[in-house]
Amino acid sequence: MLVRAATKEKTDTKTSSQTSLAKPWKVIVHDDPVTLMNYVTKVLMQVFGYGKEKAHRLMMEVHQSGRSVVWTGAREQAEIHAQKLQSHHLLTTLEVDDA
Amino acid sequence: MWAARFDEGFVFGDLTPASVDTLKGVPMLIESSDARVRSRLLPETCDDPDDEEQWRRHSVPELERLFLSRAQLVRRDLAGLRPMAKSGNQLLLIPDGHVAAWLAALNAARLALYVLAELSAEVMEPENFDQASQKQQEALLRIHLLAEIQSVLLGDLDLESAGPFGDFVIE
Repeated sequence: MLVRAATKEKTDTKTSSQTSLAKPWKVIVHDDPVTLMNYVTKVLMQVFGYGKEKAHRLMMEVHQSGRSVVWTGAREQAEIHAQKLQSHHLLTTLEVDDA
Repeated sequence: MWAARFDEGFVFGDLTPASVDTLKGVPMLIESSDARVRSRLLPETCDDPDDEEQWRRHSVPELERLFLSRAQLVRRDLAGLRPMAKSGNQLLLIPDGHVAAWLAALNAARLALYVLAELSAEVMEPENFDQASQKQQEALLRIHLLAEIQSVLLGDLDLESAGPFGDFVIE
């Protein structure tokens, strides 16, 4: 019985992990009252290669709504993006996109 | 303080002792072991505890190394501060190749000052300056000084027409 229970738990974990990996991840930038707006725009252009207009729009969304989803995609790439944004000290979090 | 472009970067002149003191604080703030600073510079990133643990294990050490190397680069540039002939104030050169590191370092220092002085968005508003404590006022002045330098490096200020600016007094 014990062996069977352990096997089942292992299988469930694997399935859950696979599902989580398959879902896209969101890179979210949050507002802070210190970081200069033009600096946020510049970093978004640099990290994602966005044009000035798109980067400015996302920056304004951060400023006005308190946060903005600046990128969505595979987990590994999302983590790389988040690390780059944090390297410039933009307040950045990651969320699994359940939508 | 004034700023200008030269062939290979930016020059900041007439840096008063208080401005120099603020600039020399930049690498120290980046390297601070204060929990509030660390928590802002290396924030919680994932909701799920397992994901967060993985993030802490894989991504945070690399960020820490980057911050330390940036602090060293800023410290090296600050070691090149030169006294100006007449005023005795200082002159700082920031080469173009160091601008990206300086921009991030200045941002880190401003964020660190913000959390260490327990500032808030409300206190940051210019009209509330007088209501801030002395410690907060000093932090605000330093934050604004560093923002001026960031703005120059971002190319937000027209250096041709700009004369001396940043009339900051930090006692």
